[in-house]
Amino acid sequence: MANTADPTLNPVSAPPAAPESASKKTNAQMEQSQSQPQPQGQKAPKPAKPAKQQQPAKDKNAAAAAAASADGAGSDKLSPAELKKKAKAEKAARRARERADREQTGAGGGGAAASGQGPGTPAGKKGPDAGAAAAASGKGQKGIPRRGSAQTVPQNGAAEAKKKQEDKKVAVFGHLYGQQRRTTVAGAGKEVHPAVLALGLQMRDYVVCGSSARCVATLLAFKRVIEAYTTPMGTSLSRHLTTHLSHQITYLSTCRPLSISQGNAIRALKLAISSIDPSVPEAQAKSTLCEFIDTFISEKITVADQVIAGSAAQKIKDGDVVVTFAGSSIVKQTLLTAFKQGKKFRVSIIDSRPLFEGKNLARTLANAGLEVQYSLINGISHAIKDATKVFLGAHAMTSNGRLYSRVGTALVAMSAKERAGGVEIPVIVCCETVKFTDRVALDSIVVNEIADADELVVTEAPHQLTDLPDPAAAAQPEPKKGGKTAASNPSPAESNTASKKDGSPLTDWRDTPNLQLLNIMYDVTPAEYVDMVVTEMGSLPPSAVPIVHRMSTNL
Amino acid sequence: MPPPSAPLTPGLASFLKSLKINPIDTSIDNLISLLKRRQIRHSRSCATATAYLLRSVISACRTSDASKLIERVQSVGRRLIAAQPREMVVGNIVRRVLGLIRDEAEDDRDGDFSLSEAGSESLPQTPRAGDDLSESLYGRHDGSASKPLSSLAAHPISMFSLLSQPESENSLPGSPASASPSGRLPAHPQNKDIRAEVLDGINEIIDELGQVDDQIAAYALDHIHSNEIILTHTSSTTVQKFLLKAAAKRKFTVIHAESYPNNHEATHATVSGTAPNDDELLSTESFQKPLIAHGITVILIPDSAVFALMSRVNKVILGTHSVLANGGLVASAGTRVIARAAKVHQTPVVVVSGVYKLSPVYPFDFDSLIEYGDSSKVIGYEDGDLVEQIDVQNPLYDYVPAELVDLYITNLGGHAPSYLYRIVSDHYRKEDINF
Repeated sequence: MANTADPTLNPVSAPPAAPESASKKTNAQMEQSQSQPQPQGQKAPKPAKPAKQQQPAKDKNAAAAAAASADGAGSDKLSPAELKKKAKAEKAARRARERADREQTGAGGGGAAASGQGPGTPAGKKGPDAGAAAAASGKGQKGIPRRGSAQTVPQNGAAEAKKKQEDKKVAVFGHLYGQQRRTTVAGAGKEVHPAVLALGLQMRDYVVCGSSARCVATLLAFKRVIEAYTTPMGTSLSRHLTTHLSHQITYLSTCRPLSISQGNAIRALKLAISSIDPSVPEAQAKSTLCEFIDTFISEKITVADQVIAGSAAQKIKDGDVVVTFAGSSIVKQTLLTAFKQGKKFRVSIIDSRPLFEGKNLARTLANAGLEVQYSLINGISHAIKDATKVFLGAHAMTSNGRLYSRVGTALVAMSAKERAGGVEIPVIVCCETVKFTDRVALDSIVVNEIADADELVVTEAPHQLTDLPDPAAAAQPEPKKGGKTAASNPSPAESNTASKKDGSPLTDWRDTPNLQLLNIMYDVTPAEYVDMVVTEMGSLPPSAVPIVHRMSTNL
Repeated sequence: MPPPSAPLTPGLASFLKSLKINPIDTSIDNLISLLKRRQIRHSRSCATATAYLLRSVISACRTSDASKLIERVQSVGRRLIAAQPREMVVGNIVRRVLGLIRDEAEDDRDGDFSLSEAGSESLPQTPRAGDDLSESLYGRHDGSASKPLSSLAAHPISMFSLLSQPESENSLPGSPASASPSGRLPAHPQNKDIRAEVLDGINEIIDELGQVDDQIAAYALDHIHSNEIILTHTSSTTVQKFLLKAAAKRKFTVIHAESYPNNHEATHATVSGTAPNDDELLSTESFQKPLIAHGITVILIPDSAVFALMSRVNKVILGTHSVLANGGLVASAGTRVIARAAKVHQTPVVVVSGVYKLSPVYPFDFDSLIEYGDSSKVIGYEDGDLVEQIDVQNPLYDYVPAELVDLYITNLGGHAPSYLYRIVSDHYRKEDINF
């Protein structure tokens, strides 16, 4: 939802970071992708660890691996026999390392996160927080097994901590927690293309955020996958490419659950792959597919957005006060289009924690010269008071006509529909048909996405502006980590209380019994709050969603 | 209270301290500037400060002439209200004190002229204005014993009192406060010191302010059942005490909307049980165990998730800034959408509020009730460039219309919003509504 105007820029600029280093052999790729995301700072301590882990496991391999790592640094003039031996050792070392990494899921997390959201990005503000949190969690988890191997008592503590973690799941949403979002590329299947690896992390950190942005980015990444793909012997492209893609898709969905638009796009792509005649030569098939992706993007999203922006802009009249929620890219495009047409209107943006997507929208619109008013969700009833129209973006439209969008949208639509005095403000949803789904939803609980609750913990940035960067502030992340493992280690108690004093009271909410934080991503707006859905196929009532969806999928 | 050695930040605690030392005019100016600078914020702090100030004003006033006292209190009251017109409790307390003075003056006159004015319209209000003040001191048995006496005495005077006197008893059936000043009447010497009576009355108001949360909490078990899911908003101590009282007996779940950006820190502190470092909420509340320590599951959500979760909520319990005579309320921003979302989902909305927050004000211009706050809380200083380009708004209050509220719980019991006007007329004298 956030930056679809950039989706074309963002994903294009992002993937190259990874693929450049990609080599021909998939194995090598795997190794590269593992070591690549580590920032220079962490490089030194890192290599030591796998060796250490592996020593108790296999002595023979350990020696070999040690030799291998020594080799890797310098000479590459070796006899064929030695080469063979070295390859074997490397393989063993890699396996051990993979296993080790899998055990300590977080290990490279911080580094990976840091590189993942590398290019100066709209979500930059919260990126570092998430990265830091990931790093902290990684460190916390890393600490546990090591201590566990040393003595038994802390192991109990670790188990206790785990039990507590489960406590933190809000019961009603228990079905949505599933697995933890991936924090690192480590442990990803070797088939996963570097472009997809990078995209996964970007999506996780909300660098690529918003339904259509994610859809476009996924398709572009898959285009690279298809370009780099060679059909293995003994299979046909139409059969094998689908399974190859599904590895990529599984990886992406572990980073962040797939959006409806991504799902629709992937379905279309798979259909296109399976309809390729096996007799077509591979190069031609690949170019057909790339062409298909390009047309899909332009037809379903780029051009569709233009059409929608054009027709939605017609709804804006001079003197209007347009209220919008969070940062929908298509709404942004609509408002800018209307502004370019010389219409005079005011925009009131309502924003919410923790993503603050509206800030970027406000900035873009203000830079373009629009008159912008900005308030948070607590100011809805004030913002809506003099509104004449409400424009909303969508994550998806369900088949029962309900709008599935960023959490808080329903509140805005509701406020528009029950303004005192009986005058209702029209609520207009801008939505590409690729976001239509045949799923239905009655409430926001059965279908939703749970984001990391740590995002809700306020990190006080302004402190650093006034205070000296004293050692206590520098040690700030440490108590955080300590807070996590406090159960296993009594010593961080003092540091814990220290962090409590200047940090948010929620800093160690995970250790506070009975306290749960809930950070859901979406909510469902009842169909009766939506007056009109503007799509590239025209403006419809919400009840027309299933029909349009059938039409657009049965083409 | 903070230790005396620590330098006090301006607020309620420092004001009460200085009240003892400073001359009265300095104290008045002091409170006015505190109100103007918003250094005293919470309804209850404002009410307490006003009550204490008026007590010193009256004790400093060397006269026992009621009209002079009224005049003095009115002039102080006007200045206080002008300092912070949206803090309606200040006006409420001033009105209550004015009512006290008038009552005492009338009691005097009643004694002198042997109830010659008993037929006037103001009589039914006379006992009730004192009702709630004396409720803690004078029990029901006392009142019911003495009531017939006074009503008997009133009977021969006028036909009106035949109707009005019984009505005054029926109108507050639930309250234990049938004790009335008229019950006390026979005990008073004929030429009593009005000032002493009024000071007693103000002390009772101050006591009431101290106890009001506990009195409200006493009704908690009537309203919360087991396994309930309750949604609340802001860190209101009244709500917290209400829930804590219920938590002692029942298990339920609390969903707490964090009310970003104006109250989220206090809310976070409340839910996690870290003592709020808000010196305005002095006294023991800050040391109270949080809900989670009672085994109550507390789920903290951002304000935006209210609609999504409302379908699972059984009851919404809200605190408020002040309550208006039409049953509407002025509460912290974001309350209105919560109440509306509750209405959409057919979830009952309960507002807990002390009677002292009840204002005899009818809202004709809603916008005038709303105060706007610090916009840097919405967009921080790190986005300074953005603030220059756009209009950032941070309303502090919301007006919630009466139809969104299902029930009010005050220290007098539960009331329908439509009944509030009656309580208003019980507590404030008509002549004081626009003083």
